[in-house]
Amino acid sequence: MDDLALPAATVITGSAGWLGRALVHHLATDAGDHARDGEVRALVLNQTEADAVHAVSARARAIIGSVTDPDSLERLLVGLPPDTDVIHTAGVIHPAKVSDFFAVNAGGAANVAAAVQRAGLRRMVHVSSNSPFGTNASDEDTFRAHEPYNPYLGYGESKMQGELAVLDQVQAGLDAVIVRPPWFYGPLQPPRQTTFFRLVRGGRFPKFGAGMQRRSMVYVDNLVQGIVRAELTPGPSGRAYWIADERAYTVNEIIETVGRALTDEGYEVKPGAMALPVIAGRVAERADRIIQSTGRYQQQLHVMGEMAHSIACDIGAAQTELGYRPAVALYEGMRRSIQWCRREGLEL
Amino acid sequence: MTGPASTPIHTPATEARYDAEILIIGSGAGGATTAALLAEAGFDVLVVEEGDWVEQGSVVSFSLEQMDRQYRSGGVTVALGLPSIAYTEGRCAGGGTEVNSGLYRRPPAELLERWRSQYHIRDLDPDEMYVIADEIESAINVTTVPGAVSAPSAVLRRGADALAWQNSESPRWMTYPPGGSASSGQRQSMTRTYLPRAQRAGARLLTQCRVRKLSISGTSASDADVVLADGSPGRIHFRHVFVCGGAIHTPALLQRSGLRERIGDTLAVHPTVKLAARFAEPINIPDDVPVHQVKEFAPEISFGGSASHPGLVALALADNWGEFSHALHEWERVCVYYAAITSEGKGRVKAIPGLRDPLVTYNLTARDKQLLRSGLSRLTLLMLAAGADEVYPSYHNAPVVRSSADIASLQRSFAATKATVMTVHLCSTVPIGEHPRCAAGSFGQVRGMRNVWVNDASMLPDAPGVNPQGSVMAFAIRNAQRFIETERPHG
Repeated sequence: MDDLALPAATVITGSAGWLGRALVHHLATDAGDHARDGEVRALVLNQTEADAVHAVSARARAIIGSVTDPDSLERLLVGLPPDTDVIHTAGVIHPAKVSDFFAVNAGGAANVAAAVQRAGLRRMVHVSSNSPFGTNASDEDTFRAHEPYNPYLGYGESKMQGELAVLDQVQAGLDAVIVRPPWFYGPLQPPRQTTFFRLVRGGRFPKFGAGMQRRSMVYVDNLVQGIVRAELTPGPSGRAYWIADERAYTVNEIIETVGRALTDEGYEVKPGAMALPVIAGRVAERADRIIQSTGRYQQQLHVMGEMAHSIACDIGAAQTELGYRPAVALYEGMRRSIQWCRREGLEL
Repeated sequence: MTGPASTPIHTPATEARYDAEILIIGSGAGGATTAALLAEAGFDVLVVEEGDWVEQGSVVSFSLEQMDRQYRSGGVTVALGLPSIAYTEGRCAGGGTEVNSGLYRRPPAELLERWRSQYHIRDLDPDEMYVIADEIESAINVTTVPGAVSAPSAVLRRGADALAWQNSESPRWMTYPPGGSASSGQRQSMTRTYLPRAQRAGARLLTQCRVRKLSISGTSASDADVVLADGSPGRIHFRHVFVCGGAIHTPALLQRSGLRERIGDTLAVHPTVKLAARFAEPINIPDDVPVHQVKEFAPEISFGGSASHPGLVALALADNWGEFSHALHEWERVCVYYAAITSEGKGRVKAIPGLRDPLVTYNLTARDKQLLRSGLSRLTLLMLAAGADEVYPSYHNAPVVRSSADIASLQRSFAATKATVMTVHLCSTVPIGEHPRCAAGSFGQVRGMRNVWVNDASMLPDAPGVNPQGSVMAFAIRNAQRFIETERPHG
């Protein structure tokens, strides 16, 4: 089936974020993989974010507001033609407190879906996560296109509620597609990702048990491609797709590949990893659960707890139904990521 | 070689003393096939069966009366552990083949290869096994159902198709009358196939004969101490004995006979959890089970349909009776389904002096419990995708599931220790192979014994991940063929 025509205008929420800026780059600059004409509106929280977006694309139009503020969403969408697409990426993953998860990830998605529906725009692409589905029951298991919800703590619960809010609007007539990326990586990464490189360089990346947990990851340009494919492929409303690299990687493979990418980029890498018993991951997970139950959030514990499990997903549906073709895999993506850090003057 | 046509098919054990060249203990999928092959090869075969001969059709399939008459202990026994696992075993002529779902799966090629390499099973050639499987499939008439599958089966297919999950109809060993429907099959169990074949070749079958122990001296067993139909003691003298009493009673008998090394230490099962699902239209077929199975997540997780007569629907609803019991009034619209896993846990069978039945324990691993949660949740999603109005998962205080969001609370509240975990597939208590952890050699000869063999589900090296009857029969025939080659009677 032919693609939908390129939209007259494109709206991106969360556009100063990692994924948001990657989208602005690819959609609204000549160097982008999916450069398009027409207006690109970018929702940002403040002037600093607006500057960050303009640094990526001079022609993107930054609008200050928040997904938690429905009035600002009215302003964001005002005067747009009906064949406008909205890519909703705004979300929090490591907040100061658990309630932020729900305000932004659940409430924000509900507000955006309602606003798009009210404005009568063409399609919404909702960027969700693996987190509403938790972790695989075993290291051999792989998430299929359709899975039962099993939210992983506050983030997962809030992202699930976000999906459900979008699906409610689908019932009411909204055309929406959900995209579910797992752990992503690549240029424009936030500071916590440089910690990741530093841990690998120092031979201190935490590895639970034999390191045979499988992780799906997605290079950010692959993700942008998946989002655009979801946006432009005709089909029934309410579909959801995993968007990840071609296959899942084991933790051992991740550590080895990133180490190799760092070495090949001229960094000295201490071989090895910080071997931890599986029980340490369980302890971290339990501690994370307890702390989150008091409304607080501790990033390291959260990441540790999740690292002891597999999160692997099957991208077959995106490949066959959307024509999604992930072009970059771990080694190449990590080299590009390292090169970007160096250009930005970030210490690894 | 062929016995007179008037040979009674079965007689209760009454004589204080019997003699046989080959004694086969148990008449199920392993014992019956062994009996037929050895009798046809000219051996003098005596089969003893603890249960009764129950004519097919005299008891309603999958009914409580059947549980009473054809199962051990009235249907349900328990393997202790956290959670305890309920299991069922046939106890009648034909064993489990008289009462099981009748679904047939060949042992998958990957499974045979894994068993060969992990357990060092000699001369295990998939091509040869599939020649045997061809013979079995013809002998017991493995076939798909005529016409449309039943409504409960169509639920599995519809739900799985909607989710793009691999599913297929499992063939059954049934015959159907001309123009018959999917539920009009006549099961081609052992009492209809291999046991009559054994009899025609001269084998004798004694029912109501329980073997207490084997008398063993050095590397040989010579006699079986038995309890006759009237409760009095008897003795059977033999040259070779094949123990085919099932995965619980085969190791228990060997242990009572003094053979303990590695025997009974490696019980494997397919633990299952269940749910009941209510639909808008009537779907229940009380005396049959669905033929579709969902293998998308196999071998780790498989889904299928369970027997769903009203008594079993009530059992499936019992874990949260307060919230679920209303569904029983509409049992015609309710059906029971299961999620089975391949477990990494291990169980034990231990004969206790003075007790008639052995102590059975089984412990699930953390991974097993996660798989059960995942299996039950995915099966629930499948039911919703198939159009179920309400789903009732079988565990203590489970929520009624009406939407995909409700499944999140199922996942949160599920714990394997709250669930009614049960199994119908018990195996691997006397695993075969040359590997040091195996209790019997590659062809079923019990380690250290010259004339004691196992040839039933006990010998499977571990849980096969598919309905095991096809695997049990194929291995039993393979081993019997090898026995005939090496021990063929002279003249």
